[in-house]
Order: sequence, then structure tokens, then C-alpha cells
Amino acid sequence: MASDPQSAANQRIVEDLVSRLRRRQLVGSRATALETLLVLRQVVSKTRFSNLDQLVNVIQSVGRRLVEAQPKEHSVGNTVRKVLHHIREEYHTASEQPIVESSFSIAKFVLQGQPRKQATIPRSETRVPLKENDSNDPDSFARVLKPVLMEAIQDVFDELETVYDNISKNAKDHIHSDEIILTLGMSRTVQSFLKSAAHYRNYTVIVAETAPSYGGREMAASLSSAGISTFLVPDSSIYALMSRVNKVILGAHAILANGGMFATSGSLLAATAARSYSTPVVVCAGQFKLTPLWNLYHEYGALDFGDPNAVLGFEEGDLVNKVDVVNPYYDYVRPELLDVFITNYGDHPPSSIYRLLKETYDDEDNEL
Amino acid sequence: MPQAGPKYEPASAEAQSLTKAQKRAEGRARQEQQRAAKAAQKQQPQSGLGAPGTTGSSSSKSKGTVPKKPVSESNKTPSAAASSSKDAPTTLREGAGGLDGLSDGPKSRGLRIFSHFGLPKTPGHQIKGDIHPAIVKLGLQFSEFKICGANARCIATLTAFKMVIQDYVTPPHNTLSRHLMTHLSPQITHLVTARPMSVTMGNAIRQLKLEISGSDIDLPEQDAKDALCQKIDNYIRDRIIIADEVIEDLAVKKIKDEDVVLTYARSSLVEKIILRAHSLNKRFSVIVVDSRPLLEGKALLHSLTSTVPPIPCTYALLPALPSLITDADIVLLGAHSLHANGSVYSRAGTAMVAMLAKEHTVPVMLCCETYKFSETVMLDGFGKNELAPTKFSPASPKSNSNLEVLNPLYDSTPASCITAVVTEVGLIPPTSISSIPLALGRTTL
Repeated sequence: MASDPQSAANQRIVEDLVSRLRRRQLVGSRATALETLLVLRQVVSKTRFSNLDQLVNVIQSVGRRLVEAQPKEHSVGNTVRKVLHHIREEYHTASEQPIVESSFSIAKFVLQGQPRKQATIPRSETRVPLKENDSNDPDSFARVLKPVLMEAIQDVFDELETVYDNISKNAKDHIHSDEIILTLGMSRTVQSFLKSAAHYRNYTVIVAETAPSYGGREMAASLSSAGISTFLVPDSSIYALMSRVNKVILGAHAILANGGMFATSGSLLAATAARSYSTPVVVCAGQFKLTPLWNLYHEYGALDFGDPNAVLGFEEGDLVNKVDVVNPYYDYVRPELLDVFITNYGDHPPSSIYRLLKETYDDEDNEL
Repeated sequence: MPQAGPKYEPASAEAQSLTKAQKRAEGRARQEQQRAAKAAQKQQPQSGLGAPGTTGSSSSKSKGTVPKKPVSESNKTPSAAASSSKDAPTTLREGAGGLDGLSDGPKSRGLRIFSHFGLPKTPGHQIKGDIHPAIVKLGLQFSEFKICGANARCIATLTAFKMVIQDYVTPPHNTLSRHLMTHLSPQITHLVTARPMSVTMGNAIRQLKLEISGSDIDLPEQDAKDALCQKIDNYIRDRIIIADEVIEDLAVKKIKDEDVVLTYARSSLVEKIILRAHSLNKRFSVIVVDSRPLLEGKALLHSLTSTVPPIPCTYALLPALPSLITDADIVLLGAHSLHANGSVYSRAGTAMVAMLAKEHTVPVMLCCETYKFSETVMLDGFGKNELAPTKFSPASPKSNSNLEVLNPLYDSTPASCITAVVTEVGLIPPTSISSIPLALGRTTL
């Protein structure tokens, strides 16, 4: 798989996405996940490979490039991991070497998590013998595997497409009549969750406007136009109002292996204030945000900083050159501060996130 | 001394009803005139305000009626809300603590729990009775937030009262000690109408009342007035100016070289402490955390960076606090008032700064003069609060009736989040606040 025109085309689309990620022209976990998936689909369809390792290597190297372009967009890496996971799974199914699950033991349960549902259902009924490294016909392996791989990638696509609906479908079980919900920032997931609940319940949302992006204003406008009684407040009044709030609903940027999360800055304040009033904190997030990362030691250097102009603009001319202005994008919220993750596949407490991760990704992909 | 009872509130109904009959008769004619003029004026702006909102006319019709049920989507635009609250004083008494019945109207959809928040006042509020020009001016400065902050408002009020007292002439058949307070009451009411009274003002006014009722009947009027003004000056000097200097001395000792001092918004006292530490050639840096609605931290930033050499400063908005608190060595906060249970009523956001500092075991020093102490107990920042005027609201237009913009000005920090309170009588834990007034002997000025 040298420099043939197909791999050149691959190069091009990968480079295109890399530069858009690097320039922050593409932001947001779902948008980046979708774009990554598009690129991967393209790569899988164009690449020539004659055995599994070749394909996995190609995907991994593409994934590595994308992740390095924007390490804080965790869903890029997650999508790559998920695709790799599906590729291996399809390979195992196609080559009729299903993952050994005959003897079920506690030790295996701890190691591998619950038995995988996908693994038991063969995705494809094609039983063409799969031959690796066929010297006579090097493309035979790819020819057999590619259709099933496309199908698998399409499944990941469908999951991303329906993620909001699936998260929101149980919204009415979480929000009850006359409750006061506090949320902040602009999260599409939370927005659709709240709107879905509004079909069944009459409740009130307090939206903290989340300086300096003021995503909360957009959120408040959107919620109120859907007929939800909405109060827009500055971030400073979160604590003052918390005593009347029944539930805090937050969005996530990435869910970490320990059950903590990265979320838009301001989330940690709200979660900490909620804990001091024992108010439950609910996080709405798609499973594509599950990230096999640990963040036990949250360092200043691990932050991602945004444009300081939004905090202190040049209209404060004489201040600008004397003052350091800080505008971090994300907070790290510890698992102890969170009560539940509402995902597109059910509700999970922070303590069981590690298990979901085991089911979703292969261990060897944790480091791409 | 019938009206010199220990508890009469400046804005309470009985204080108003105590106004002398002759005074009333004299003022009534002019009041009627003013009222008529105001009413005529109001007809125009109201129709003007109602026009832009599509539902303006319907809401102005429903004004003054019983508040609607939450279900009925009564479409009240902010302009309508403002105009209805502006109209209201002619028919309803505008009390000191929030407008109980009035605010139900604009917040008709659902949350009556917010209805007790003091509504932001429109600047051109009505002048009732015989108000001294200095008070009228001060009222405007208060409602426009030109004078803002517990200390500044207290000093400004007392200074204005000195002018009122100097211009006061005791009517015949009266004594200054009995009549002056009835003259001051409407002035106080006017200030309260402009913006809810701060605890500092309340404490100072209570002290002033004591002094007035205790002033010697046999003293010539001018001497009595001079004595009162002297007492006011002493109060400002002892309880605020000198107290601040003592607090500066105490707090500055806690700032060491290479320290990172974190503060929130802008407290005049914290500003003085930081500047003093700088003038003592301590090398430290400051993190100023700020938030809407007032963004007062920028003013602090200006004063800290205009020193020579400038103090190294970092500026961030409140959501960025968790990333910065780990760097801080000490948190200095100001207060609006301190309550008997040790909770601190201060600028909205202070509670979260203190909470996070406690979480990261950063000492929180609250800087506060003892005259900010209030005997009341405060359980959360919700029971008593005040809303910022609409000019501090985000510029984005309100598109629909379901959206309400709320800008509370204060919150309440529990005592558990405060490491120490720096007062002019020393560093004390917040729970010991209640012993301070006794120790100071409350009856002295």
C-alpha cells in the first residue's frame, strides 16, 4: 500500500479534517465524532489491505493523526476506538473465531465485563472463507470484509444520528411536574432532553448564562421558545438559587473512565454548589463521549484555554497588557459530584462507567 | 418620648402616620400637583413602551388585576412589567422590603418563589412629600448604581443626612429631639424606594435615631444640630474609616511574599488591603475573579494595575474559578453584611468562591467592619435578595414570554466556608460575630 492514488486521496481527507480540528473550525464532541467517522469510512473503503493487521494499522495511524490535531476533542479518539473495536469484532465473526465465551466465570466477568450482545449475533451471514495474505489475490480479504465493515460503520453512524432521541426518550422519568431544574451552557443533548420532558411535564428551568461564551443565553432562548418556563441568571447566582433547585442537569464534553467528566467550565461550580445543598446532579451524554482516560490529578496544564478576548476585550485597552486573562474551556468534574449519567443506552452511575468502557472499546486501543 | 421606642423602622407605616398633621396638609397640595403631573407624563411613555412588544397593550390592560394562574400564558413584556411597577406606587404603598403583591404580575408564569425579590427600580421614581434635594440626588445615584457598595452607600447617606439636619428648622411647639426623626423618615423612605436599604445604612440610621432622641432638649437648635453632625462624623470616622485602617493592618500581615491573593468582584476594603500590602513592598500577585451582572472586578483591576510598579494580576470570570483556585494561597472577600448565625451576605458569587476555596483548603479571610453586623439570621441567599436593574441585563432581546431574566445581586455564604473574619476588633471566627456588638457596647456611637 505504497503511494497509490487511493492512499493519496486518503491522505487528503485526513489532512483536511486535521487542519479543521487544529484551527477549531470544527468543535463539539458530536460534530467531531461524525466527521471522524466520515473520514474513517472513506479510509476503510479506499485502503488496500490483505490482512487485519494492515487495516488496523492504517486506522490507528489515521486516528493518531486526528487525535494529535486536537487532543481535547476526545470523541475523535473514541470514534476511532469504536471503529477499531467493530473491525475486530467483524473480523472475528467473519473468520468464525467468535470470542471465547463458552466458560463463564467470575474472573472473566471482572476482566471482560458482561457478555457482549453484539458478539453473539453474527452481523453478516456471508460465509465466504476469509483468507489472509492470499498471494494470488491480495484483495480477496478486503473484498470479503469491506461490506461488513461498512455495515458496522453505518451502525456507529446511526447511533450518532439518533443519540439525542435515545437520551431524551426517558426524560419524563427524570423530570417531574413543578420541578425547578438548573442547567448551564449550551448543550444540544440537554436541550433535547429538556424539550422532550416538556411534552409531559410542566416545569421550570433556570439557565446560568455561562460566561464568557454565554451559551446559556442561547439555551434559554431555545428552551423558552419551546414553551418551557425559563429563567436566565448570571453564573454568580447559582449558589443563591441552588436552595430552590430540585435537580441540576449538565451536559458533558467527555466521560472519563473513573466516572468523572470534562464539561464546559462552570459545571464544576454548579456541581459543587449542588452537593452543598444535596441536590442531585444528572449528566446527559451520548456513549460516544465515553473516553478511556483517567484524570486523577487534574493539573492546570491539562486545561484547554479559549480566547481571552471574550473575558477582557480590547475595549479595556490599558488593562489588556498588564493583566493575565484566563478563559478555560472545560472543567473536570469528579465522579463524587455526579449522581447519574443518562446515555443513549440507559442510565449509569459514575461507578459503572469503567464497565461500559470495557464493553465499548478494546483494551489495546486505549493508547492509539 | 413616645416615638423613641427601640424598634421603629424608618419605612414602617406607623412612622409615616406619625407625620404631623400640619406638615401633611402643607405637603399634600404639592403632592397632588406632582401626582397629576406624573400621571399625565406616564400616559405617554407607557404607550410608547407598550408599542414594541406585540402583547404590550393586552398586558397593560391586565395590570392591577389579580395575578394570573401559572397556566394562563399571560404575555407580559419587560416594558409592561416596568411600567406597571412604575404606576403602582400611586395606588399601592411601596414598602421597604420588596414589593409583595406587585411582582406577582410580571412573574405570572409559574414561579412565585421569586416574587419577593426586590424589583429593580426605574430611575425616575416618584418623589413623595418633602424630600431634601441632597436625598433626591442620592436616591438617583443609588438607583443608577452610581453609588454602590455597603460602605459607600452608608457614608453617602450619612453625609446627605448631615445636610438635611443642617437645613432643618424645628417647627413651633416642637422639640428637635422629638420632631427631627419624623422629618427624616420620609427621606429614608425615599432612599429605600430608590434601592432597598443596606444593612449598613440601617445600622447607622438606628444609631442616628438613638442620638436624636437622646439629644438635650435645652440645647439651642443650632448647637443640637452641630452636635448631631459631629456624632455622624464620628460614626463615619470610628466605624468605617478608622475601622478600615485597623482591618488593613491586620489583614496585610496575612499576605506574605510570593503569595497569590484571590479576590472576587470588588470590595473597597479588600482593594485597600491589597494596595497597602503593595505599598509595604510585599511581592505578591492577585487573581481577580469577576462575574456578571455588575462586573465590578474590572474597576478593581484598574486600581491595582495603576500602581507603580503594577501588581501582577490575573483576571477571569467565575466559571474559570476551579482552574485558578488551586494557585491561590489566600482568598480575601468583602461583605455586605454579617448575620448572627455567621452567614455572610455579599455580592452574588462570593459564596461559590468561598465554597471552592474551602474545598481546596485555601484560607478564606472575610474583611468586614463591625458596623456591618446584623442581628438577623440568614439561612440562604434566597430569602432576601435584590435584583440588579435592567440596564445590567444581557442585551439580547427577549423574544418570548416564557423567558425571564433574573439578576440577583447577593448571595449568602454559610459560616462553614469562612476561615476567619477580619474586623477592627481582631480576627474572629464567623460564628462568634454575635458577641461583637455586645463587646463594643451597642449603645455608644
